[in-house]
Amino acid sequence: MPGENPIRMQCAEFEALLAEALDGQLGGAQLESFQQHRGACPVCGPLFAQAETGLSWLKAVPQVEPPVNLVNRILAATTGVQARVPVAVPVTPPWPKRLRGWVTPVLAPVWSTARQPRFAMSFAMAFFSVSIALNAAGVRLGALRAADLRPSTLVRGYYETSAKVVKYYENIRFVYELESRVRDLKRVTEPEEPARPVKEKNRDNNTSGAPDHNREQNYSRQEDQPVLASAPAVQLWPVHALRRLV
Amino acid sequence: MEDVQVVGLLLRRCLTGDAAAWEDIVRRYQRRIYNICYRFAGSADDADDLTQEVFIKMYKTLNSYDVERGAFLTWVTTITRNLLVDHFRKGKHDRLTDSLDATPAQEEEGRSLGAQIEDKSTASPAEQVRSREAGEAVHEALQKLSPELREAVILRDLQDMDYKEIAGVLKVPEGTVKSRINRGRAELARLLSRTYRQVI
Repeated sequence: MPGENPIRMQCAEFEALLAEALDGQLGGAQLESFQQHRGACPVCGPLFAQAETGLSWLKAVPQVEPPVNLVNRILAATTGVQARVPVAVPVTPPWPKRLRGWVTPVLAPVWSTARQPRFAMSFAMAFFSVSIALNAAGVRLGALRAADLRPSTLVRGYYETSAKVVKYYENIRFVYELESRVRDLKRVTEPEEPARPVKEKNRDNNTSGAPDHNREQNYSRQEDQPVLASAPAVQLWPVHALRRLV
Repeated sequence: MEDVQVVGLLLRRCLTGDAAAWEDIVRRYQRRIYNICYRFAGSADDADDLTQEVFIKMYKTLNSYDVERGAFLTWVTTITRNLLVDHFRKGKHDRLTDSLDATPAQEEEGRSLGAQIEDKSTASPAEQVRSREAGEAVHEALQKLSPELREAVILRDLQDMDYKEIAGVLKVPEGTVKSRINRGRAELARLLSRTYRQVI
């Protein structure tokens, strides 16, 4: 009959000792009779196995951590005093680190591509060009000061550099000669503008005391005399210049 | 200085109005009380609220604690247990199986951990519970035990209290405590074996 100990121990006694047996606190004759009953009883044997399995499940369950600010809330609800020891709050990294964290994933593929040998020459040429441009503009990176970066200084530097470039360009011998030839050609081909008639009333009412230009130009000529057509003053090219052109 | 003496000193300081001593007591017991509440109530939010209630009640009744009547830990656990029982009664969480012959609940029948748990047939229970999913399964199985079995199992197997202390907290004889613990463990194994049998 199940539940009855065929040897010595009763089922009730077995159950009373079950917890201690699982704790390993039984020994001697008591343990022996316990094990005999466990092997023989069809009810207590499975009960022992199940209790042992349940215990092994429970022993592996971890402790849970309470919320970080629980102590503060308890103290606020009881004494109304804040905790002495500050609660460990997750530290926010400084902004350069955070910025690096955001930028690095974006720039990493670009940087890995840029490090390929085929792009090295392009970057070198770009660097060379920028260096030449800065050199021509008179910018010396080594001698750069904070005062040089002020807007007024930058504007002045811009105009100085522009003037320098224009002066350099106009002082080139080839450019100068070419411009002078173009001016001469224009003078030869274009007809001279007729002299403008001087308004009479302006002359009569002129009380400013300014000298009379017409008189300075030709004192012997009268106003009513006709102006004779004259040949334009053609400047003859020097021989060596003509030879060079030919 | 022994733990009992330290606690005794802290209590005396608390009774004189020392806020720092009270904070030390809160820090010393908050983890233990939170764990009891979490395993009994089943949810972190309830555990949070209940832990606060326990400490508020402790703070109000601290002068009623008598060193001669038992350890401070037993007194604290008794307060916790009483609040949990009240919480349970208010919630009417009567969805439990008090018998080893009880049939599994419908929700358990529909539950499956197959996608999450690999072949469990060769692993021991201790190995299986290491995974998070299995830990949650044990926690859920605990909620299906009757309150009497659950509290006995929690105090013994999760809080490592001895039978005498548990008997003091639950106000029942030690034999009853042992019986509840045995039945609780066996019932838990049955519930979990059903769950994992479905998986396999």
